[in-house]
Amino acid sequence: MTDLTMGSYETELLLSEKVSPSSFLLTLSKPDRFIDAMPGQFVSIKIGEGISPLLRRPYSIMDITKDSIVLLVRVVGKGSALLASRKKGDLIEIIGPLGGSCFELKDDLNAVFIAGGTGLAPLVFAARKWTKEKKPGELHLLYGAASSNEILADLCMRDFTEVHIATIDGSKGFNGNVVEMFQDLSERGVLPEGQLFSCGPVGMVKALLDSNAASFIDHHTSLEAVMACGVGACRGCVVPLKSKNGIEYRSVCGDGTVFRAEDIDWKRWGK
Amino acid sequence: MKNKNFYIGNTIFKNPVFLASGPAGYGIEYRDLINLEKLGAVVTKTISLMPKEGNSGTRLQETEAGLLNSVGLENVGARCFFEEKFPELLNAGAKPVVSLACEGKEEYISLLEITSKQKKVEAVELNLSCPNVEEGGMAVGTDPELLRWYITKAKLILGNITVLAKLTPNVENISSLAVVSERAGADGITAINTLLGMDINLKSGGPVFDRVVAGLSGPAIMPVALRAVWEIAQVVRIPVIGVGGISSVEDSAKFFAAGAAAVQIGTAIFYDPGLPERIVDSLEV
Ligand SMILES: Cc1cc2nc3c(=O)[nH]c(=O)nc-3n(C[C@H](O)[C@H](O)[C@H](O)COP(=O)(O)OP(=O)(O)OC[C@H]3O[C@@H](n4cnc5c(N)ncnc54)[C@H](O)[C@@H]3O)c2cc1C
Ligand SMILES: Cc1cc2nc3c(=O)[nH]c(=O)nc-3n(C[C@H](O)[C@H](O)[C@H](O)COP(=O)(O)O)c2cc1C
Ligand code: FES
Repeated sequence: MTDLTMGSYETELLLSEKVSPSSFLLTLSKPDRFIDAMPGQFVSIKIGEGISPLLRRPYSIMDITKDSIVLLVRVVGKGSALLASRKKGDLIEIIGPLGGSCFELKDDLNAVFIAGGTGLAPLVFAARKWTKEKKPGELHLLYGAASSNEILADLCMRDFTEVHIATIDGSKGFNGNVVEMFQDLSERGVLPEGQLFSCGPVGMVKALLDSNAASFIDHHTSLEAVMACGVGACRGCVVPLKSKNGIEYRSVCGDGTVFRAEDIDWKRWGK
Repeated sequence: MKNKNFYIGNTIFKNPVFLASGPAGYGIEYRDLINLEKLGAVVTKTISLMPKEGNSGTRLQETEAGLLNSVGLENVGARCFFEEKFPELLNAGAKPVVSLACEGKEEYISLLEITSKQKKVEAVELNLSCPNVEEGGMAVGTDPELLRWYITKAKLILGNITVLAKLTPNVENISSLAVVSERAGADGITAINTLLGMDINLKSGGPVFDRVVAGLSGPAIMPVALRAVWEIAQVVRIPVIGVGGISSVEDSAKFFAAGAAAVQIGTAIFYDPGLPERIVDSLEV
């Protein structure tokens, strides 16, 4: 990946749209010097004015346009709730683009994307960027959520060759979780051969590895971890990799967010 | 407080605003966000003789106005540090202060010997909060005898290099340990390191951290740090460097008023990397 320099910027909230009962799409002005980011990279946002909450919150980049940065925010606690309450015109401080590795598609290959929840964001970014800049083969999105009202497929229908939806309650698409759907689709030969890209809860990625994902050329996953610095300095967000000589930790913010799924020591990660 | 050159031991610093050991890593990770050249010094994360992989499990947990960390001194080890990280930090225009681990006695002496051979090292900070592996794991800086031993050895082996003693607040009487440090030859006292804390995961009913206890930093600990600096400044003549929870220009002014000759910024750079430079700008010229 190219060596991108990040910076600290003040952006303006251009648009905040509620896209599901718990999720918001935020469009921020893109600062002049913000260098275009790669899929899997993120920004860290200063949430409040003072010290509550103390730490910045990391969010994947869902899209970069000529003059805006798009993020998908799910309200899960104090910080995300505050972020969702910010209004058009508010100034928001971000640091970015952060992350030392990204999703990469080999020329002409097909890609199967597997998203759980807001794991959708970096995958949409990858699909949009590759469609613009490369000649990708087929791009399939497998996307799972608890219920149909949390499915944000409308946001990205046109970005993929095909979108396959799974809901746990069966209210839309496949009745079950996204990994069960993945297995069903691959058994029925619906999915093209190619690279696999995932982003979602640890349980989802682990289950993918235990399924027949190995039949794909490569499986790269974008990880999340609680972060403090976001720049690889504090060693607070580390993920253990499988290693012959004891334990080997890599930082999700500085070395990731994207790792080969097989390289991660899943026995020690996300307990 | 003035924005001008001053001495601690034999080392000249251009101003009294430093980055604290740890949050900024080797310093270089922050060079795109903080103008390192503008600061008085960058204290590196603590370096041990051998590489350390750090602690397993959760390493960070936010609290009300604070942060618990259990990083466990993960670092690349002295050799790699002096070959790769230290020259990069110098190239970035920073004035490094190298934080040294005070681990087992034999390892510690080797670490001092390696450090003494580095031509460009001007100052070190002894992290006296390291567990005393030989005697039950309490921080070496909690025992006056051990404290004296670690500082005396550093002064002896490091020669002209300036030695700062960084004290742990997890003791009954921090100012008496500051006096012990001064008598043992420390050129300056850094106070404070993190306070011991813990958290419970209500889902599992057990501790959040594999090692149960973790270090508390951030605004929540500032009153404790300020009190420590005040008490220490009353009883020692060597410079006192204040650290703990500084998150505004006003906070730093309070440390200077309490008797600090310099301040260090740690946790605050996570949410406000511009703060150290703003403190420099706030000083009288
Ligand atoms: C690289 C990266 C990219 C991310 N991208 C997105 C995204 O595109 N959209 C999105 O909605 N969220 C994303 N997240 C997760 C997001 O950062 C957290 O949801 C957010 O920090 C929670 O803050 P809070 O104050 O609302 O919740 P808190 O009150 O802090 O916590 C509420 C719950 O969220 C969990 N949580 C807290 N911080 C994190 C975290 N960093 N990662 C995962 N869970 C966390 C806590 O364990 C707790 O269960 C990303 C995280 C990372 C590390
Ligand atoms: C993530 C993290 C890592 C730290 N690592 C070290 C370390 O390696 N050596 C050390 O002496 N202190 C370390 N500290 C302690 C800080 O240097 C400082 O003494 C303490 O955090 C209080 O200051 P603050 O509230 O400004 O952070 C660390 C603190 C944090 C938050
Ligand atoms: S958050 Fe500091 S190393 Fe990743």
